[in-house]
Amino acid sequence: MIWEVFRQEKPGDYHTHCGNVHAPDREMAKQFAVIQHGRRKPTESLWVVPQEEVGEVDADEVAFGGTTDKSYRWAMAYTSSTEHAKEVIASQQEQEQAEADRQRGDD
Amino acid sequence: MDVETVKERAGPREFSPADDMPEKYRKAATRMIQFHANSEIMGAYLEKPFIRQAPSIDRKLAFSAKVQDEIGHGQLLYRAAESLGIKTREEMLDELANGEGKFLNCFHYPMESWAEVPMIAFFVDGAAMRRQATLKSSSWEPYAHAMDKVCFEEGFHVKHGEDIMARMATGSRKEQQMLQDAFDEWWPRIIQFFGPTDDKSTHHDFSAEVGLKQKTNDELRNAFLDAYVPKAKSYGLEIPEYPRIEEVGDGEYHVEEDDLDWDEFFTVSKNEYEPGKGQIDSRKAAQEAVDWVRDTIEGDANLPGSQAAPAAD
Ligand SMILES: [Fe+2]
Ligand SMILES: [Fe+2]
Repeated sequence: MIWEVFRQEKPGDYHTHCGNVHAPDREMAKQFAVIQHGRRKPTESLWVVPQEEVGEVDADEVAFGGTTDKSYRWAMAYTSSTEHAKEVIASQQEQEQAEADRQRGDD
Repeated sequence: MDVETVKERAGPREFSPADDMPEKYRKAATRMIQFHANSEIMGAYLEKPFIRQAPSIDRKLAFSAKVQDEIGHGQLLYRAAESLGIKTREEMLDELANGEGKFLNCFHYPMESWAEVPMIAFFVDGAAMRRQATLKSSSWEPYAHAMDKVCFEEGFHVKHGEDIMARMATGSRKEQQMLQDAFDEWWPRIIQFFGPTDDKSTHHDFSAEVGLKQKTNDELRNAFLDAYVPKAKSYGLEIPEYPRIEEVGDGEYHVEEDDLDWDEFFTVSKNEYEPGKGQIDSRKAAQEAVDWVRDTIEGDANLPGSQAAPAAD
């Protein structure tokens, strides 16, 4: 049986997918994950999930983000000359980053 | 873990469902997150009728996207609250429907004209964002994670809200007057968004000690005023005479709290304010009207062979 492994580096971080292990049950999967994925990289916690329980939907099946122009959903679409609150600026920077990542993915 | 250990360890994103948290912590966190989730939902219901009143197709698209986001925030937050093991999402939704569930003061007031939309979409979202940015460091990790996504989206809400306001503020005389009238009416409520001063607030101490809450009501209110009083002024809005707001130093403001109507605030907070009761009931009616959808979905999930069936361990 294949188990997908998710690693969290620091407390409070997200668990992100880092690979998988072959194991007959959950306990063994945890032990193998510790050895294979938690030994060198900084690790605070690991999750193991049976591969067959993972549902997937990909870009061939759906158009992520829709097919019409939704620029109105982005902070960048609204311009004003006034000074923005710092958390609004931070949010816009995250959005700009996400948009840049997406565009790179399109190429 | 006992309460003392929790207080010692309390830090940003310190605790997760994998930790054995004392009931006192789990209850305090549930109360706080449930309140937040309820507020997202009630805010969305208050704004929803204005999607139809949007003056242009662009506005309509953007405003309906915003309302949709708010419902999404509510769902994320119910998940974060559920992860504490005190209440299920169903219980929280039922409490909101039957009037037990508490939510933000601002969403108890009726909204009648488009000029009031920026009062919510700019000022209330701006106030909420100021608080939410600090909650990214909450000690309950699922709450902090929900805030990551919420804050990512909120930049759009606040800037779109500001755009609506800017359009009215530079519009006809009549539009400017309508905007000022709406501001006069909403301004005190917006300041009360942050609740009473810390020594009158009952839940602050424990939530702060265990790191659920990062800033006091007073700190948040002052930080909001510092950023948003200049904003209001830059759009030509006149700050009402009451509550008195004093500039205490270099771009810092302070409000005379006794000028605010705290009796009304506490009536509102207890869900005893008439217009607010109407909002609760109309959301309840909406919840009941779509019961069949949820029953159908849950019914299907229980059929053998359904993909939605829980995994056998
Ligand atoms: Fe929201
Ligand atoms: Fe919002």
